[in-house]
Amino acid sequence: MIIEKVKKINNSEGEFINHYLVNDKYNVPKDEANRDYQSILAWVADGNTIQEAD
Amino acid sequence: MALSKIDVANMLTGLVPNDNTIRRPNAQPIIINSDMAVAQRGTSFTGVSSGSNFPVDRFEFYPTNLGAYTIIQEALTSGEAYNNGFRTALRIDTTTADASPAATDYAILRTKFEGQDLQLFKKGTSNAEKFTLAFWVKSNKTTTGQVNLFDIDNNRLVSGTYTISSANTWEKKVINFPADTTGAFDNNNALSLVVEFFLDGGSNFTGGTAPTAWEAQTNADRNANNFAIGSSTDNDFAMTGVQLEVGEYTSSTLPPFQHESFGDNLARCQRYFETTFEVGTAIGASTSTGIIRSGGNQGGRTSGRMGHGFTYPVPKRSAPTVVFYDNSGNSGALARLDQGSSTASNKNATLAGGSQKSFEVTSTGDSTADCLNYHFTADAEL
Repeated sequence: MIIEKVKKINNSEGEFINHYLVNDKYNVPKDEANRDYQSILAWVADGNTIQEAD
Repeated sequence: MALSKIDVANMLTGLVPNDNTIRRPNAQPIIINSDMAVAQRGTSFTGVSSGSNFPVDRFEFYPTNLGAYTIIQEALTSGEAYNNGFRTALRIDTTTADASPAATDYAILRTKFEGQDLQLFKKGTSNAEKFTLAFWVKSNKTTTGQVNLFDIDNNRLVSGTYTISSANTWEKKVINFPADTTGAFDNNNALSLVVEFFLDGGSNFTGGTAPTAWEAQTNADRNANNFAIGSSTDNDFAMTGVQLEVGEYTSSTLPPFQHESFGDNLARCQRYFETTFEVGTAIGASTSTGIIRSGGNQGGRTSGRMGHGFTYPVPKRSAPTVVFYDNSGNSGALARLDQGSSTASNKNATLAGGSQKSFEVTSTGDSTADCLNYHFTADAEL
């Protein structure tokens, strides 16, 4: 997956549900066993920033 | 069953006639989808040049801008692999050559394992077991290729080589790997071992020697015998019947391949990937076949928020990455269905929660509807 943007996903109460929306398509869990979350961590380590939920 | 076929003696003693079958009685193959029968993501992909690609489940072709390829699940109708009970294979055809890859480029075919599924090898103990890898292979190239066992937990590597003797002919290869008393596999659901068929690579991966004993991993050793699949558009590579066994076997002592039912095989694959698209249908295809329809809105038709929960038939290895699709091939979307009236596609789909076992999707205020239609993929690959 080539990451272009990452945004937090909140529930209807505005609480973070431990998932991120990547490229407006992929719902990625905050789980270090998930290879896409590992990619998010690398993407952040490269200096990129996760957006807050809408 | 005719009475004369009942082996009364063995029923009484508990013995099994073929000694090869008692080593792991009732065990499933260690390698999942080793007969390449399950292809949940589709059966043909063209112009593959980068990233993670699965022509069949659990077998990942990963090129890094080293040529371009068509990768397919190939139906077998003849040949020695067919004659040995295999009806499908994974096939890679080079469509754009790169005979001079950059130093960091590579093209690998691999399958990956959770550490908790490898404890029977007793790696890292004084009782460590040897490994035997067997597979059917066919290529136009009569050359020597390299396959590595890459221990991710301990960054250790051991290699074997195989030679294609006759072009365009199915050949069975059996490779032995030594035991490793150093470095145990972690006993968890994370990646511990990669079986990698290194099919091409730049200078960072060549120049070394294929290690026949376990060693600290060195990139230069991973492709010491370069198959060079990307060197010509004449090249192809096909494989099936991949078998990993505990212990050392020859071609004559190798236990028989343990064929699984398609259903059992599919269920094992679904621990890592699942979709509502029919097996063999491309992900994101414009189709309603297999689509999930929520049970309807208890309150009747609404333009407000609607939700639907789904429990996976097979719990995933870890919480998966989930992607929603509508009936028209739009990703990150679903369809709001007003039954008896209309289906509105490309409507918002928001994950409301997810775990190894289930997820909930919601669609907030939009077109009037009384239920939701959606496809999904859930990816928990290693």
